[in-house]
Amino acid sequence: MSALIAKMLTSLFTLFAIPSFVAALWPMPRALSTGSTALKLSSDFVIHLEVQNSPNDLQSAISAVYTQLHNDTLQRLVVGRAAADSVAIARASELRFLTISLTGHAVVRSIEQEAVEPYGSRSESYSLNIPHDGTTATLTANSTLGLFRGLTTFSQMWYSSSSGKYILDAPVSIADEPAFPHRGLSFDTARNFFPVEDILRTLDGMSWLNTLYWHVADSQSFPLEVPAFPELAEKGAYSETERYSAADVQRIVSYANERGIDVIMELDSPGHTTGIAFAYPEHIACANKSPWATYASEPPAGQLRIASNATLAFARELFASVAGMMPGTMMSSGGDEVNLPCWEDDEETIQDLSINNITIADALNQFIQEVQNVLHQAGKTPFIKSDMILTHNVPVTNDTIAVVWQSSADATSMAERGQRFIHQPSDYFYLDCGAGEWLGNDVLGNSWCDPFKTWQRAYSFDPFANLSASQQQLVLGGQMPIWSEQTSPENLDPIVWPRLASGAEVFWTGATLPDGSPRLGANATSGTQAFARINEMRYRMVDRGIRAIALQPHWCVLRAGECDLDA
Amino acid sequence: MAFATLISPSYALAATLIPRAFWTLLRDHVFTSAGSDCSVVLGWAACLAVEMRSFIASVLLLVFSVSEVASLWPIPRSLSTGSTALKLSPTFDININVKNAPSDLVSAVARSKSYIQTDKMQRLVVGRGSGDESAVQQAHQLGSLALSLAPGAEVKPIAQEAIVPLGSRREEYVLHVPADGSAATLTANSTLGLLRGLTTFEQLWYDLDGQATYTIEAPISVTDSPAYPFRGFMLDTARNFFSVSDIKRTLDAMSWSKINQFHWHVVDSQSFPLQIPGFMDISAKGAYSSSMVYTPEDVQDIVTYAGERGIDVLIEIDTPGHTAIIHQAYPEHVACFEGSPWAVFANEPPAGQLRFASSNTTNFTTELLVAVAKMFPSSLISTGGDELNTECYADDAETQQILNSTGSTLEELLSTFTQTTHGALQDLGKTTVVWEEMVLDFNVTLANDTVVMVWISSEDAAAVAEKGFRLVHAPSDYFYLDCGAGEWLGSDPDAPGKRQDGVFSQAEWSWLMSCLQSYTFDPLANISEAQQYLVLGGQQLLWTEQSGPENLDSIAWPRAASSAEVFWTGATFPDGSPRNVTGALPRLHDLRFRMVQRGVNAIPLQPLWCALRPSLCNLNS
Repeated sequence: MSALIAKMLTSLFTLFAIPSFVAALWPMPRALSTGSTALKLSSDFVIHLEVQNSPNDLQSAISAVYTQLHNDTLQRLVVGRAAADSVAIARASELRFLTISLTGHAVVRSIEQEAVEPYGSRSESYSLNIPHDGTTATLTANSTLGLFRGLTTFSQMWYSSSSGKYILDAPVSIADEPAFPHRGLSFDTARNFFPVEDILRTLDGMSWLNTLYWHVADSQSFPLEVPAFPELAEKGAYSETERYSAADVQRIVSYANERGIDVIMELDSPGHTTGIAFAYPEHIACANKSPWATYASEPPAGQLRIASNATLAFARELFASVAGMMPGTMMSSGGDEVNLPCWEDDEETIQDLSINNITIADALNQFIQEVQNVLHQAGKTPFIKSDMILTHNVPVTNDTIAVVWQSSADATSMAERGQRFIHQPSDYFYLDCGAGEWLGNDVLGNSWCDPFKTWQRAYSFDPFANLSASQQQLVLGGQMPIWSEQTSPENLDPIVWPRLASGAEVFWTGATLPDGSPRLGANATSGTQAFARINEMRYRMVDRGIRAIALQPHWCVLRAGECDLDA
Repeated sequence: MAFATLISPSYALAATLIPRAFWTLLRDHVFTSAGSDCSVVLGWAACLAVEMRSFIASVLLLVFSVSEVASLWPIPRSLSTGSTALKLSPTFDININVKNAPSDLVSAVARSKSYIQTDKMQRLVVGRGSGDESAVQQAHQLGSLALSLAPGAEVKPIAQEAIVPLGSRREEYVLHVPADGSAATLTANSTLGLLRGLTTFEQLWYDLDGQATYTIEAPISVTDSPAYPFRGFMLDTARNFFSVSDIKRTLDAMSWSKINQFHWHVVDSQSFPLQIPGFMDISAKGAYSSSMVYTPEDVQDIVTYAGERGIDVLIEIDTPGHTAIIHQAYPEHVACFEGSPWAVFANEPPAGQLRFASSNTTNFTTELLVAVAKMFPSSLISTGGDELNTECYADDAETQQILNSTGSTLEELLSTFTQTTHGALQDLGKTTVVWEEMVLDFNVTLANDTVVMVWISSEDAAAVAEKGFRLVHAPSDYFYLDCGAGEWLGSDPDAPGKRQDGVFSQAEWSWLMSCLQSYTFDPLANISEAQQYLVLGGQQLLWTEQSGPENLDSIAWPRAASSAEVFWTGATFPDGSPRNVTGALPRLHDLRFRMVQRGVNAIPLQPLWCALRPSLCNLNS
């Protein structure tokens, strides 16, 4: 924790005799103090940017805040809505200015640049003060990225009424920074395709997350246009219009970076690669082999021929080419659900193994090593799926970040190996679970990771569960995945939102609420605690054009706590 | 032949068609080679063969395996198709050969023409139909479809035909699309039947890269009629509110799979959005906001919109439970309002039920229901009756006083209440509908023609039939669209994917699964032959504690279409084989993609890779 936060916390604890929170804030800031005075936003409210040579994306971010303050129509979620506050609003002072500045000698760089800094040198902290008497509010940070986070907080605080925007709990003081550096969404665009607009809208919703982990291709389709291998998308995409061109990728990456989000491309390998066989069948073993269940975890079967020198050369060039498309410092080679019979029954692989006198395990080690080499040469820190390490015991470089996905219980095994990792446990975070089996003719089948993961379930995740104090430093954060076998643009918003916001608070706010109480206290998800805030987050998202699902009847939303189990 | 049993002998129109349909089939699939795309045909045969055990069945398979138009949902009762390509002429038109055609028939034809033009639906096969190009280039052009009514049929608007009592609705039709480009014909006994036929016709056509609108299965002959008269969809607009346009979009989607009954659970304990003349206070104080209401004009708009699409609107005012919000305007009529802990007094918060023991409340409710009944032209109206909580009245001084002074039991007073409300509705010519508890849990006197909705479990249907009541299947274990999304109540630490109240603890959220599971529903299971006539049909239901306009389409579609085929097509496919999931999935994909093309956000059931290769994503393929 930074000195700034520690100082804030000590000074704030005294103020927290009464429980206090700004209902509108999600995720909860690390340090927060609020009063109980109403404050209005003046009709000529202005944001003063006191940053020399301010970058374009910071100016755009400020314009976006003006637009939100202008367009948002969310009234406070209480019985009577804004009318319930009319007396307080009438008496409120007016806030006319917010000044924004960088602290000390911070070098002025664009949000875009700051957003792709390596973990450790990325600064997202900020400090926001809003006096109750209408005097100037201030937002300061060490970086434009921190200013962006602070602007996001500021734009979330205000309620609408017929006499303008207001809050009820001035003065507000916030000192904030994320508990974990990696807070993401893993997005599968291969099982079903998503147009660029859907990805951009999702990035808009991800204001508190900082990573789009893009699972771009898989066995069903290969939508990514790779400069070195144009045929991959020409033959492997679902159709000509269901592709991501280099320009599309550039557009997505810029849009993300300008919003403080880094894009980590995952090129899953050596499994989940049958999409490559449309263009390069020679590199894929057991492609479309039947019964698929013998050779893959879902149809169609097919994996890279890891023992083939030609395929290794192809993989090297493929990874180098994709890495070259991305400005970030991280990239994933996937590595989940490798199927051994696929190679054991593949005549070419058998032959290659025998020529080189190696085993499948040797070939797999060599493949991963080669891929990691390419990533390092391209300046990328490699990500890899946890089963490659835990199941197949494949050695990886020390800097590798493992994605622990099969079960939350795997985190301790990963920590015991001393490997850095992020949490993506299927038993907490998978947004697609619980929709039933999607395979044909399985009438009573459930999804493999049943049941549905509610927002409460995801929220209840403890990133440090069963980890020793010394192992905790290995946890870089976590991400919630949307696998898209049963998802498409039609249900993207409802299946992702607002549940993905759970992950944002788990990894931003961390273990403790600003009043010092544990985030996972007895009433963590009570209607008067997190439930009230996530409901508000959901209504704000809908107001801003994201089709987030209702978590409760509107009746309950207006009466925090009355729909608790024991109310 | 199986065909003989499929068609009611009363349909003279149909009877003459059967032999022709059969011979068309033989000619196209036995005496000539199958269609151009052999892999699809073989794939079909291969996966169907798993389910076919007997030699005879295998022989039938050879004859009929390609007889199902991939695009039709629900599959017609009787269908024959060929393997000739046919495209629509650039000047294709639909001619209404009906004297004084009602305006809603003219509108329905206009909609059909618009869908045919704008669907731009490509075939769901690898290549998306590009392999059909040469066949389509050489294909005959269909110049027109001619609509006519059977001789002597009375010409009435669709909206009128749609709301006649169950059992008298005439939805049957016959459709011929010749292969040689000569005019297609659609005939029926009513404008409602013509609408159903138009819906089938619209679904036949695919787009070839903007160059042609075509089918590869001409000639097509359809003789169709629903297996059951009640095929519904229920929407709860009280837990969360839905705008009129959301409801209209849902009605459109319903009509595409020939659903004919919109069960509107309009109000509940959480909110009262329905404006009722004479009782405007209830919605003024009980709606979520002044903009979240249905005005009488909105109701008229919805009823008309539905009627024109062949859909009857069954309004439900749930009583005496699920009525807490009436307390805002009429506190004197609601017992245990917001009683705490709510779990003692209600299945979900807030607690509050009509004080039915009171004659004042009984009169109030009767007047209320009568006022509602007058807003809706349907012959059906539901008074609800589910989840009545007797604890609510144990602490209610007024109820206890009435019980003491009259010496009656709560159950006797419930019967009086129900007889009074139902009596008034019956005087208006309405048939009353109730949830199953009113028959199975309470000794309440009901009219013989009362329709009972079975919801708690599919197993309860037999008990309702035993009592001689007509029933509609709405079982939570097959047809609830909201199940499995986890607990929505606060402070449930884990909130797993199950609901708290126990009733639904076995029902997992399911998409494809639920499509398939609901699809396997047998309407006649455990019901004796003598009582089968009591089964009117069924419906899928959307309760909206966790739904709003944001996910209405995606939670309802295409799953809610499953039951549409269960209750339209009945037990057998047109080839005589038992209706089965493998034969349904490719067509359900087709319906889903067509819905998306028409602006309904229906979910994908599988990766597109599978939708293009339906037999390759089975569990055992």
